[in-house]
Amino acid sequence: MNKPAPTQQKKTLEKNATLSREERKKQLEFQNEAVVHLHSLYNYALHITMNPDDAEDLVQETYLKAYRFFNSFERGTNCKAWLFKILKNNYINRFRKDSKEPGKVDYDLIKDFYHSIKDTRNDTTEADSDYFHSLLHEEVYQALHSLPEEFREVIQLCDIEGFTYEEIANMVDSPIGTVRSRLYRGRKLLRVQLEGYAQKHGFNTDDNQ
Amino acid sequence: MDCTKASVLMSAAVDGELSFSEEEHFLSHLSECKECSGEFDDAKKTKMIIKEKIIRFKAPQALIDSIMQLTNFDTRETEETRLYD
Ligand SMILES: [Zn+2]
Repeated sequence: MNKPAPTQQKKTLEKNATLSREERKKQLEFQNEAVVHLHSLYNYALHITMNPDDAEDLVQETYLKAYRFFNSFERGTNCKAWLFKILKNNYINRFRKDSKEPGKVDYDLIKDFYHSIKDTRNDTTEADSDYFHSLLHEEVYQALHSLPEEFREVIQLCDIEGFTYEEIANMVDSPIGTVRSRLYRGRKLLRVQLEGYAQKHGFNTDDNQ
Repeated sequence: MDCTKASVLMSAAVDGELSFSEEEHFLSHLSECKECSGEFDDAKKTKMIIKEKIIRFKAPQALIDSIMQLTNFDTRETEETRLYD
């Protein structure tokens, strides 16, 4: 972005100065509390919609709603969790209705989607893991997306986004016990998938304990 | 504690969500049960793989800009509006 000419800058300042003090305070707080989670929200939206345009719409809509209802955000609680809850509700209302049957996995779609965007937008860090070192990102991505949605969802919220069980329970409208068991079963399923990939790469995990 | 009970606590153990006494009982079962102990290691590894290997996508600049517009100012102005406080 270009730095505006001094007169233009002055105009902006005047415009802001006319905003009520309350509104400016709200904007600042919203920026510090909510907008900082933009990348996480987009990433999650992309994972669930598998469509960049839908993901943008979803995030856009989420922030609009969040800003409008920012006063109802309970200060001191996790704002990222609050935003995810809004995003999830939006997703259900807007996209879920016309989606395909749950549990059906379209591997070709996943693969195509992955390849269509992985080279352009990602910030995965190449952490050197002792285990499954040879696993490719794509394989992990496919393994995760092969899970039924209810399992994939909690694994993403827990392992990728780092939410607590309490936060996840609130997001998925289920008791903590359900979150626990979905994570347990989801990881077991995932393990089977990953094992297959690991073996394909000639990587025996049992020797590596 | 038996294996069924241990499996109920397994994920919470992986995620550090057990209470102190739950953890105590869970670990004591692991020390005497090879199956649960192996399962626990597998679950921890699975979590680590997802955490480290899953691809993360960044929001495109156009989206960032439009979210910024939502709140009617950008980062440059953030600093400046502070002057009025
Ligand atoms: Zn056992």
